[in-house]
Amino acid sequence: MKKIVFFILSLALLSACKQKVNEFNADRGSADFTKYVSVGNSLTAGYADGALYKSGQINSYPNILAQQFTTVGGGAFIQPLIETEDGIGLNQDNPFLPPLIPKMVLKILPDKDCSGTPIPGSYSLKPDLLTYTIDVPAYAAILAARPVAAGPYNNMGVPGAQLQHLFFPGYGLLNPYFKRFASIPVATASILGDAMAQQPTFFSLWIGNNDVLSSALAGTSLLVTPVDTFAKYYPMAVGALLASGKQPKGIVATIPDVTSIPFFTTISQQLPWNGIVLDATQATGLNTLFGMFGHTEITWQAGPNGFVVAKEDGTWAHMGPQDLFLLTLPTDSIKCKGMGIVDTTGGGYKLYPIPGKFVLDANEQAVIKQHVDAFNGIIKQTAAVKGLAVADMNQVLKSFASGMVFDGIKFNTSFVTGGLFSTDGIHLNPRGNAVAANYFIQAINATYGSTIPQVSVTDYHGLIFP
Amino acid sequence: MRKVTLLLICLCITAMNSFAGGYQVGLHSQRNIGMGLIGTSLSYDASALFYNPGGASFVNSKFSFSGGVTFLMARTTFQSKDQAYQEEIKHALNYPLYFYLAYKPIKDLSIGVAVNTPYGLSMSWPDNWKGRFIIQNISFKAITIQPTVSYKIKDIIGIGAGLVISYGNVNLNKAIPLEGTGGEGNVNIKGTTTKLGFNAGIMIHPTKGLSIGIDYRSKIDMAVKDADAKFTVPQSLATNFPDNKVDVTLPLPANLDFGISYEFNDKFMIGLGLNYVFWNVYDSLVFQFKTPTAAIAAHQASAKLYQSRLITRLGAQYKINDILTVRLGGYYDPSPVKDDYLDPLLPSSNEIGLTCGVSLYPTKGFSIDAAFEYLMGSKRNGNDVNDNFAGTYKSAIFMPGIGLTYNF
Repeated sequence: MKKIVFFILSLALLSACKQKVNEFNADRGSADFTKYVSVGNSLTAGYADGALYKSGQINSYPNILAQQFTTVGGGAFIQPLIETEDGIGLNQDNPFLPPLIPKMVLKILPDKDCSGTPIPGSYSLKPDLLTYTIDVPAYAAILAARPVAAGPYNNMGVPGAQLQHLFFPGYGLLNPYFKRFASIPVATASILGDAMAQQPTFFSLWIGNNDVLSSALAGTSLLVTPVDTFAKYYPMAVGALLASGKQPKGIVATIPDVTSIPFFTTISQQLPWNGIVLDATQATGLNTLFGMFGHTEITWQAGPNGFVVAKEDGTWAHMGPQDLFLLTLPTDSIKCKGMGIVDTTGGGYKLYPIPGKFVLDANEQAVIKQHVDAFNGIIKQTAAVKGLAVADMNQVLKSFASGMVFDGIKFNTSFVTGGLFSTDGIHLNPRGNAVAANYFIQAINATYGSTIPQVSVTDYHGLIFP
Repeated sequence: MRKVTLLLICLCITAMNSFAGGYQVGLHSQRNIGMGLIGTSLSYDASALFYNPGGASFVNSKFSFSGGVTFLMARTTFQSKDQAYQEEIKHALNYPLYFYLAYKPIKDLSIGVAVNTPYGLSMSWPDNWKGRFIIQNISFKAITIQPTVSYKIKDIIGIGAGLVISYGNVNLNKAIPLEGTGGEGNVNIKGTTTKLGFNAGIMIHPTKGLSIGIDYRSKIDMAVKDADAKFTVPQSLATNFPDNKVDVTLPLPANLDFGISYEFNDKFMIGLGLNYVFWNVYDSLVFQFKTPTAAIAAHQASAKLYQSRLITRLGAQYKINDILTVRLGGYYDPSPVKDDYLDPLLPSSNEIGLTCGVSLYPTKGFSIDAAFEYLMGSKRNGNDVNDNFAGTYKSAIFMPGIGLTYNF
């Protein structure tokens, strides 16, 4: 009888044997994540697809970080959510569109010939505005409305912000994306002031992208923030956050070289810089024509020739092999109107160089790269002096250029197919934000001895295809 | 009493380590399972057709039949590296069958047929799990039919060989990271194939009680030609993902087995088995698509780099009386998978198995055989470098089985 009881007990013991694998052991290390405040620009705000919209903000890397921080004592992370999924973007320079535009989405659009007639059976998948029926006053009201949740707001990411803007009292009067959630009175509120007032125990600072990007987006290098200015203001911004009261720890991030993002690489992969192929007669004819208009600096020869670009300083030049077309390049004008050579659609001959804002030439790239490197040097040095973590996003993006894989998903920096970027070719999609958040977490863990769990990138979606 | 004691020993030993050593299945006869899956030097019944065709002619009856089933219940836990993600799955019940029939038209000659599933793999993760872009579920089975001839010379040496006809089927699903309004993409691949191999062996009985066996089962290139690949993707991408034919090659490794056993008397037998598995044939898993597109590369290979491994087995049987025989055994099956290639298709680890079994003889020559194998998993850390999917796996398998043997 005893033996039978023992036998049954043994069986029960065996069946109760659940295999246990230790669960992830999260630890905050030497940092305190009770109050996390993020400071930055559109990347920090969760701006994507050329606009600010609610789910984009929810998928911002700071919000993802804040969710992970909750495993190590992180508190609530309040974002200044905008009450729209249409998204609201500022139309910078398209004269055919109103000042406020919705986000872009991927669409299947009929291909059109040069007369604007759809080509039967020919379709392309491309980003396009969500809608062209834009209720501008309604958009303006949404953009102007204060967020539903009361402030202060942990996410102080403001689309368009450059380094110096962080300090501007009344920056909200210049930037509607800040105005909508700046502390009252808006006329005196600054981004940094609002961040400091929250007395963060932990902060992130990813700023400086627009100090080069805004200039590059305009196809020039003339508007880049001078290195001296950056060297003066960057340590000031970090110092201000560190002095905000709770002796916070923090993380700063480097600025990706803008020329590695799809906005600057995509078109040049499809459209050769020297796509104008001439025979000897055509070349002679064009030389005569350009000479008649006084542009003897432009010479044509038989064989491939570079497109002509009208630079920001007024000079004209052929494109070179290193020059990059911007994603905004009106390729229809190249195909149908002779942009880059001569416009003959009006009946006569009109020289038609590509406006410089659609091309970032080799010299401009060199100036921008030089500034990116200098800024990143300043960022890393400041972090080293203050003992802060650094997410080296410049290095990260470089490593993605040749391809990376996480959980079976392949990533690279290509437009649409690369898996990281949203439809604007500049900002990250939700899965890209999750990838970025993981690099921030790795840097935080390495610096502060914490073990904050990374996120599963498979929990976030990429672009939505129709 | 001894019966109960032996059963308790078997049940109470907590075996270490975990999953099957590869996609090879060893559950081919309850009697052999009870003895740590040894068999190369044994010739008690028709299962010798599989374990060593050279031994079939030593079976002491005109007819021998053996058949049975094992119920394979497994559980796997995955803990993601650097993340809080954990997944625990209960695998669907698997029940590999076996069936052997041997007939001796004359004293020294045996002919027979063996049917079993020496290779198989079945993993079913949740459709929405973290590793879904690597695998959601995979089922691969190779059922073999082996007609066999065996001949012995002077009761000392037996030789035998069989033609292995292997029928394989594969069915797998994985998600594709392309999201539409209807969710993520998916690909299903399924196909079947029939391939040939052989199984040949020699058994020697040099002195009374001693038996030595060597057996070689050939590699089978389980190339599934023209399997059907069906893609489900957002509509705008459908032209890039046409329904496809795909060749999938999963080589079934050759086995070189050596066995030695000794009968101390007519009650007690002890045996040693060594199985060398030529896992190195599984170099990579290759999918060759017949209608490639910009989105579907024609040749998709992921390195697996399996390493050949030696499995060591020990087993013993004790005949308590005419009605009852008990068995005990164990084995060590080192994983053929390197840490950097440990993937969720087959999260194998080094395995120490302990087994026990029993045969009841209601009448002479007829037995009801039962065996029990329990493997409690230990953890294994790895990273599938093809997919950058790192974590810790732990599995447990519970394998009771039942069969019949009839020698007449």
